[in-house]
Amino acid sequence: MKNIGHQHPLSKVIAEINQIFAEIGFVFAEGPERELVKYNFDMLNVPADHPSRDMQDTFYLADAPELVMRTHTSPVQVRYMLDNKPPIRMICPGKVFRNEATDATHEAQFFQLEGLMIDKDISLGHMKGVLEYFFSKFFGEEVQVRFRPSFFPFVEPGVEVDMKIASQEGNKLSGKWIELMGAGMVHPNVLQVAGVDPRIYQGFAFGMGMDRLAVLKYGVDDIRLMYNGDLRFVNQF
Amino acid sequence: MLFSRNWLQTFFETPLPQAEVLEEKLTFYSSEIDEVTAVGDDMVFNIKILPDKSAWLLSHRGVAKELAVILDLPMMNDPLQEAPATFAETDTVTVNTTTPTCDYYSVARISGVTVGESPAWLKTALGAIGQRSINNIVDATNYVMFHLGQPLHAFDAGKLVAKDGVNNITVRSAKDGEEFKSLTGEEYVLTTNDAVITDGHTDTVLALAGVKGGVSSGVDESTTVILLEAAHFERVATRLTSKRHKLQTDASKRYENGIDKTLAQYGLVAGANLIAQVAGGEVVGMKSVGDEAITRRAPVSVSLERINSVFGLALTQAEVEIIIKCFGYEYTFKDEMLEVTPPFERNDLVIAEDVIEEIGRMYGLTHIVSITPTPMAVAECNSRHFYAEKIRHALMGIGFSEVYTSTFRANDIVKIENALASDKGYLRSTLVLNIKEAGERNISYRDLLGLTAVKIFEIGTVFGSQSEEFRICLLVQSGTSYKAKIDEPLVAEALTTLTEVLGVTPELLSNENGVVEFSLDALLSQLPAVTAYEAVLSSEAIRYQPFSVYPSVSRDIAMWVDESNTVGEVINVLRTASGPLCVRVTHLDTFTKDDRTSMAFRLVFQSNEKTLAGSEADEVMISVYSVILERGWEVR
Repeated sequence: MKNIGHQHPLSKVIAEINQIFAEIGFVFAEGPERELVKYNFDMLNVPADHPSRDMQDTFYLADAPELVMRTHTSPVQVRYMLDNKPPIRMICPGKVFRNEATDATHEAQFFQLEGLMIDKDISLGHMKGVLEYFFSKFFGEEVQVRFRPSFFPFVEPGVEVDMKIASQEGNKLSGKWIELMGAGMVHPNVLQVAGVDPRIYQGFAFGMGMDRLAVLKYGVDDIRLMYNGDLRFVNQF
Repeated sequence: MLFSRNWLQTFFETPLPQAEVLEEKLTFYSSEIDEVTAVGDDMVFNIKILPDKSAWLLSHRGVAKELAVILDLPMMNDPLQEAPATFAETDTVTVNTTTPTCDYYSVARISGVTVGESPAWLKTALGAIGQRSINNIVDATNYVMFHLGQPLHAFDAGKLVAKDGVNNITVRSAKDGEEFKSLTGEEYVLTTNDAVITDGHTDTVLALAGVKGGVSSGVDESTTVILLEAAHFERVATRLTSKRHKLQTDASKRYENGIDKTLAQYGLVAGANLIAQVAGGEVVGMKSVGDEAITRRAPVSVSLERINSVFGLALTQAEVEIIIKCFGYEYTFKDEMLEVTPPFERNDLVIAEDVIEEIGRMYGLTHIVSITPTPMAVAECNSRHFYAEKIRHALMGIGFSEVYTSTFRANDIVKIENALASDKGYLRSTLVLNIKEAGERNISYRDLLGLTAVKIFEIGTVFGSQSEEFRICLLVQSGTSYKAKIDEPLVAEALTTLTEVLGVTPELLSNENGVVEFSLDALLSQLPAVTAYEAVLSSEAIRYQPFSVYPSVSRDIAMWVDESNTVGEVINVLRTASGPLCVRVTHLDTFTKDDRTSMAFRLVFQSNEKTLAGSEADEVMISVYSVILERGWEVR
């Protein structure tokens, strides 16, 4: 009997993300999942007394206070800027870790998508354009994006990004604004420590939960299903 | 924090817009709103105040100021507009601070108070934002905190020792092991990293600095003289104390967020006057230690060009000036160069980008216009992703399913300092164990999924004491028992396929009992560089369907059918006959002998509500047999 296998929804999502971003010149970058505190926090302008460094959010490694399981894909921004000169167009899909209780919408390990675009004149207008381009291709429908004021230590100004998928029949998520992720203009302190002169260059960065993209695209109701190896789940894809 | 519309209205002469309008304005120009609820004739907003703005926005005055700017509505009485008032100094109390974590401490003596119920307006105001009324004194201190953002604390002076009619308040570091009992009765053992407020004459702890008052000097019905504290405690020290004792209070939250020390001067006067108003009594005077100069913030400069380049806009100097004017801050704007001097409370306006953000959000971030990206080739391709995709699709082509499993294990090489659970205390150093477990779990789902063998793989990171690498692990479980075949032919098939696709034979790290693992990273060095990605084939839209958590039951049936019958026709008959409990009909085999055709099928039964008993499947099979009989087929 012939049977054809199934691709995990997250790797499907990663492949699609890469294809869409590659069309507009975004390089697929990577960094270690076990990361130096230096990259995960210090160089991202997260002050030493910031609550996100607290033990309840971050996994630390025994006998290695300089290491954490990365809490976001943002350290790859710093690593990439240290290794590459602007102009920069980069994405990084990758696994991240948070020391949080798990439930249907939270996992202690999940995937994030980081995006970074740096040049002499990159604005939030570019970010809006790039995100609308990406979401429209990813969801196969016209998607609108809007920004609201927000705050993250590694960006200034910081924004919250909402998206709205054009109305489609049978898609409960379409036609309404959905809160999606944090983003903003890369903080000059981050550019500076990563070797990019903030007097010459500027640009945006965003970080979104990829599990959430999969949830929105495929209607998955419990993200824990993504990580338990259950074929009753995987074989639907 | 909860904010009352009626309370916010006290800052304005003009009536504020309706709650829905306020909600929309605050959402798009200031902060996220979690919920808006009606409380009596009031509307209450639960606003998520962002950490960078918490030093001045965790108060009704702060939000009123935001509304004044957003709505371009003048504030009738901005309490922070004028220099802070003071009271005459009194010599009935002395104040010392010996800890660097307290850089300003002031106290006002109010005598002749009558502790009792708060007036209705005060109870209503606090009630709207979810604060229980305690008594007029405590309510007054809470009101001022939610009004201005400055925590206050009232001590009963009668419970302190006076020497020659003089009290002494001393702020010092706690002693190691020193005990403290809070106003609500909880007991804490302090460390030298905590700061405490003490009765200087007895060295008794009166309060845990910046966090909570103690029971020994609490206000009660017998209280007639109050010592009202308005102080400034260092943010990190307060946060650590609050964390150490798992005691976050409205006061500690405000210190943690770095409220400015100047605010204490406004708080003391507002608090003492309000107490005198609601509890009678008279302000005798005040005493303070520490720097009283109003915080002067450095001017921040930014060019019009910079502002426009961050948002991709083309605003004119006049347009930006209209926005900056609404803030009411000191500024100059000459030759397209803006210089703003932030007021003392705005510790978040330090660099040009901070001012750019203020202008952008008040202009409206929703007005940013998309700039469509230009297509271009990538500077380099990610070979790990490229080859992972190649391997993935090769394995899928021969029936493998991709799984993701946990990075954490109960035991391995690399230990997590603060694990979530004892079975998640280490990082995996191999994918083999995870894949074996996933394989075993899936054996019982084979009939349900119509599989003859469980064939899975994972591509993921593993960790050595120093190393981190991507590995690929695949498993085949084709036997009927849980024990895999030693020499699994399907594993050999998979490896042959990979070798064909990659042109290189992966060097196996392990190969036993149907499980094979190799390093993707090691393989990459042997593979050609990647110059272009392969196209991702777009699949039809997939919508995930929740599945039953209950086990399935299988029944096989073989029968002689008419020569003209196709497998599809027979499946349709079986499906109809077996009803809703039958979730899958799998064709097992077909053969012809002596001009007769035999077909065999496996029927899989499952309920969404319970574990099916074998007898329930058998009952369905009886009706299936009778349908087969009616068709003139013959069960073998």
